[in-house]
Amino acid sequence: MIVCVAVVGYQNNPLYIQSFTDADDALKLHHIVHCSLDVVDERVNNPKKSGPPLNETFLGLLYPTENYKVYGYLTNTKVKFILVTTDLDVRDADVRNFFKRFHAVYVDAVSNPFHVPGKKITSRTFAERVSTIVKSFGLSSAG
Amino acid sequence: MANYLAQFQTIKSSCDHLVIAVEDVSDLWPTIKNNFEEQLPFKRACLNNKTRNPVFVENLPAEFILTTDARLRSRFPQEQYLFWFREPYATLVLVTCEDLDEFKTILKPRLKLIVQNDEREWFIVFVSRAHPSNDQATKMAKKVYAKLEVDFSSKKRERCCKFDIHGPEANFWEDLESRIMESIRNTLDRRVQFYEDEIRKLSEQRFMPIWNFCNFFILKESLAFMFEMAHLHDDALREYDELELCYLETVNMGGKRREFGGLDHGDDQAALLNPGNKPLTQIVQDDSFREFEFRQYLFACQSKLLFKLNRPFEVASRGFPFIISFSKALAIHENILPFCMREVWVITACLALVNATNSQYNEGHVAPEIEKEFYRLQGDLYSLCRIKFLRLAYLIGYGTEIERSPVNSASLSMLPWPKPAVWPSVPDDASSEVLVKEKMILQETPRVKHFGIQRKPLPLEPTVLIREANRRRASLSAGNTSEMFDGRPAFADGSGSDVSLKTSPSNKVQAISMSRALSSPGFEGSIDRPMRLAEIFVAAEHALKQTISNPDLQKTLSSIKESEQKYMELTKGAADNYHRSWWKRHGVVLDGEIAAVCFKRGNFDLAAKSYEKVCALYAGEGWQDLLAEVLPNLAECQKILNDQAGYLSSCVRLLSLDKGLFSMKERQAFQSEVVSLAHSEMKHPVPLDVSSLITFSGNPGPPLELCDGDPGTLSVTVWSGFPDDITLDSLTLTLMATYNADEGGKLRSSTATVLKPGRNTITFPLPPQKPGSYVLGVLTGHIGHLTFRSHSFSKGGPADSDDFMSYEKPTRPILKVSKPKPLVDLSAAISSALLINEAQWIGIIAQPINYSLKGAVLHIDTGPGLKIEESHSIEIENYRNSPQSSADMANSGDARKDSSVAANKDFEQLSLHNGKIELPDWASDVTSILWIPIRAIDDKLARGSSSGAPQRQSIVDGMRTIALKLEFGTSNNQIYDRTIALHFTDPFHVSTRVADKCNDGTLLLQVTLHSQVKATLTVYDAWLDLQDGFVHARQGDGRPISGFFPLVISSTSRAGLLFSVCLGKKFAEDENKAQQDSILNIRYGIAGDRTIGAHPPVAVKLNETEGTGQDLIFRSALVLQQPVLDPCLAVGFLPLPSDGLRVGQLITMKWRVERLIDIEEKRVPQNNVEMLYEVNANSENWMIAGRKRGHVSLSTKQGSRIVISILCVPLVAGYVHPPQIVLPDIDEASVSCSPAGPHLVCVLPPALSSSFCIPA
Repeated sequence: MIVCVAVVGYQNNPLYIQSFTDADDALKLHHIVHCSLDVVDERVNNPKKSGPPLNETFLGLLYPTENYKVYGYLTNTKVKFILVTTDLDVRDADVRNFFKRFHAVYVDAVSNPFHVPGKKITSRTFAERVSTIVKSFGLSSAG
Repeated sequence: MANYLAQFQTIKSSCDHLVIAVEDVSDLWPTIKNNFEEQLPFKRACLNNKTRNPVFVENLPAEFILTTDARLRSRFPQEQYLFWFREPYATLVLVTCEDLDEFKTILKPRLKLIVQNDEREWFIVFVSRAHPSNDQATKMAKKVYAKLEVDFSSKKRERCCKFDIHGPEANFWEDLESRIMESIRNTLDRRVQFYEDEIRKLSEQRFMPIWNFCNFFILKESLAFMFEMAHLHDDALREYDELELCYLETVNMGGKRREFGGLDHGDDQAALLNPGNKPLTQIVQDDSFREFEFRQYLFACQSKLLFKLNRPFEVASRGFPFIISFSKALAIHENILPFCMREVWVITACLALVNATNSQYNEGHVAPEIEKEFYRLQGDLYSLCRIKFLRLAYLIGYGTEIERSPVNSASLSMLPWPKPAVWPSVPDDASSEVLVKEKMILQETPRVKHFGIQRKPLPLEPTVLIREANRRRASLSAGNTSEMFDGRPAFADGSGSDVSLKTSPSNKVQAISMSRALSSPGFEGSIDRPMRLAEIFVAAEHALKQTISNPDLQKTLSSIKESEQKYMELTKGAADNYHRSWWKRHGVVLDGEIAAVCFKRGNFDLAAKSYEKVCALYAGEGWQDLLAEVLPNLAECQKILNDQAGYLSSCVRLLSLDKGLFSMKERQAFQSEVVSLAHSEMKHPVPLDVSSLITFSGNPGPPLELCDGDPGTLSVTVWSGFPDDITLDSLTLTLMATYNADEGGKLRSSTATVLKPGRNTITFPLPPQKPGSYVLGVLTGHIGHLTFRSHSFSKGGPADSDDFMSYEKPTRPILKVSKPKPLVDLSAAISSALLINEAQWIGIIAQPINYSLKGAVLHIDTGPGLKIEESHSIEIENYRNSPQSSADMANSGDARKDSSVAANKDFEQLSLHNGKIELPDWASDVTSILWIPIRAIDDKLARGSSSGAPQRQSIVDGMRTIALKLEFGTSNNQIYDRTIALHFTDPFHVSTRVADKCNDGTLLLQVTLHSQVKATLTVYDAWLDLQDGFVHARQGDGRPISGFFPLVISSTSRAGLLFSVCLGKKFAEDENKAQQDSILNIRYGIAGDRTIGAHPPVAVKLNETEGTGQDLIFRSALVLQQPVLDPCLAVGFLPLPSDGLRVGQLITMKWRVERLIDIEEKRVPQNNVEMLYEVNANSENWMIAGRKRGHVSLSTKQGSRIVISILCVPLVAGYVHPPQIVLPDIDEASVSCSPAGPHLVCVLPPALSSSFCIPA
């Protein structure tokens, strides 16, 4: 189950964080997303390492912890998408697909002429579409 | 084969180096043994690795063992085969012989026998005992050795070498080493080949039921061990890696349930770095090994090799995932393992790995990236250990001490509870402990955050522990306790209490009472009675004591203090290591955890420092939610430390956070802290940056435009982020000039300003500024004793709270002060001359140039010869250029009656006070015209001219000036000076000529009137007062002959009048009043437009009603020349020589002066003997060589004459005026007006001079 998705701006500022847990614990997810930026930074700053090639947007698994997984995605404009899931066996392809759809939704949201680039995304449509993708993520991985 | 496992282990432990067998044929070994063993270990070995690539190994250890040694003798062939790795890798045959025959007969057959075993790598060392001085023996030895070489060495391979006991040859040892190495290499290759073949065979059977992992393991490890002996660690490591892969592939294959292991005492302590922890024989399970021990064993072997390879980084980098995956394996088998075995194992594993890698790690030996990664791994290990430790601490009831921070919540709330088959139950004798724990729970007071901030604490539990524990416990029994709980909403609510335990004491009491209520008699004694929280803690504590074998770990969990110490150690370890890696955020966040403990222990200094780092991290990247969690803590520290500056800035930061993050009440608390501190006595008043809280911007729209030197008012929008009204005792805003670094002026609002939350508009008085455009700079002000500054410019909206990175400079100017430029123009409205000596209107056009003339004052200063008619008021009217209105005015001659003007009311009469007038308000933005009544005074009488062409009056005579000074601008700060020249003139210029001389002596005097003004003049009457010597003919009254009055003269036209006069004497009534000049009097009227020029005088306009115009009198003096009938002298120019004049030629000009009448009259009293003459000539044309002025004597008798001559040289060729003679003393009228000389004379160019000719 996806517990959190986030969009982080190119200056590592949060643009959108949505948690999908019942408990009132969004703050811990903020923490997870924030700390995962360390890994994104590391990957971006050390492209030599056996990471994905530079032009690959999908950063893959950022965090192999015991209890949850953090995946990252980096757009050309250095905007990061972070996904936190408690599913411990997730297929990379599913995540890749998720991010692709998420990216499309994000692009739609920031193409809104009333959206100020670099500011928080407040669009309700965006939030709805994101939660749709998040919900369908569980289904597609099950199927 | 598995039976060989034990033997294999002992062999492995007894033999850890290569063996070289020594076949001592000639009993030489004891004598040379020392020499040989000194060469060990081999300095430089070259071996082939598994892929047959040469590898250089340094310091390869080996041992020489005699073949007769027990270690080599007592082996069964099969053993030899299986544990081939321990067999000698080379056989060194030691021989000596001093006799060829002996060699042939005895030694050679024996050697042949030894070396016939092909499997051994052998070579022969011939030891020569011959002393070097003994030539015979040496020679013999050489011979024998030569024979030996022939027999045993081949071209392909040298198998012999010679050792001189009394001094070996220089390169013998090198030779020997290379021989040995060759043998070892060959043997190694062969054995590797053998093992590989065997392993391959076994691998192929891997999926068959008969497959036995132990056999495979022995082969594989033998190979690995052999590589290790040969110091080919890389190859050995690869073997272990393959072994691990194979094991993981096969361990759970075939559905065979095997024991997992880990149930022995001490198994809770990870042995992942200690391969010898348990003998392998103990962990054999059927045909394989127990997973728990074996995987640790494999990892231990691998890490041992990695340490040997000096790659501690790799140990860490393999270790972390190993721990994670092993932990997963432990989780699968958790139900058979002791309580919390998994957590304990991970803790010990992490610590062991951290210690081992750290001690082996040498800083700076690896690439910087690797180093960073290494520290990151260390941090990860510490942090993993920390989480598990926290979990254990929570389980035994120290949860109240755990900070419910995001980082702890993130790691703990997603970490499932341990899942033992049965949750441990409370030991019988532990009731006192339960009481203690219960008391601890009760005594625990929730920590109230500073500012009274109330937050739901973050969870540290994945699920409610009380429910989880009871469910696990109850699963043994028939009843399903979880259902039981679900059926009780009250308990379900209360069971949330260990989540919300800290929310409020009342809640907690309720929770406890709930759980107490459950221990009602119905449940008493029953095995199903749900455990209370305190009981769960006590039970867990006891169970953990059973699980943990390490006394140190046990001790750390024995008390809160101990566990906190350990917690700090782990947190610091993680933070420090993260700080040395790329993962700075992890490090800083953990610093925050350290700070929390420091805070709890009263070490506020350290806590504040760490909190500051955390806050800086979150603030720097705009993670406001997280910042809102930490910042109150920092503020509290600062308050306790009495760091007023820090505390104030923290309060301001809290206030400037997203409004949704704190409740109104909390935000008001922040504000009241700021205000109360600001008004208190501050020891060191500090400037406070409130950029994030108070922002400002100019009003939208175009910037305020001011002219140079003008003050103004500027209104600025100030956004206040305070939740309540706030009183600013003063407020100053600087202006910054764009395009230069100068700071502009300051806007000050001296009175206290109250800022409402949100938008405020504040108007500042603006002193005059230098020209340029300005943007808003810095806002400063005071709240009480507190100085604050704000640099933040908002773009017309409230300060964007997520706009943390933009301290953008405003680009839009707020104020433009223009360079000095004309703001107003004053000009004369009239284009032509006005009437002199009459009251005339002068029009002054005041034209504002994009600038308001409101309140302007005009100073009027008339120059000499000009005065303002103060009896009349000054008129002002709207200035328009429309021809219609000017036509109207021309027609009516009265601007006031112009309907269009009257309708607009753009007309006013003003009066002059002290030489100045104030302009009316309506005239401030429109071009207006001021009509000032004025009179130019000229005492001189106009003079007429007598010749045909009228001689123009000099313009300067009619010129007057008027100086105007306009003070205007908002505070009359602008001054415009202008001096306007006005041209005045008489209405007419009069010229006269005698039109006809009648026979009767009457002269017809034609008087021509030239209109000098652009206005229509009407002559009503004209008369002539004649000078002496003239009288009107026919005793007239001096009126002209023509009687066409009124005579209308349009502008610039002429009219003539004829007077008939005759010479004669008037009766002189008064000698003194004798007129020198004739005076022409003209009564006339004028009709003109004041906008054009001359017009009816002002006074007239006021008096007259019908518009006919009152008559004016113009007087002009005329010079009437007495006719030449009465000359007394005649002057004549004598003819010039007939051959003409030439340039440069001297000629004599002559004039003859002749007296025509005797001098008898008094009129010429000066006419004595001497007569003054003067010659005038243009000095450019003539050079006069003689007296230009002089006296000549002339008799007073009639007819006396005299010739005046003068020498001249013409200077230029052409027609030139000749010099003229004048007689200054004699009245013009008395001189016969014959021309004194020709008008022009012809002057020829100079004659050619022959001296200029050059002979050919």
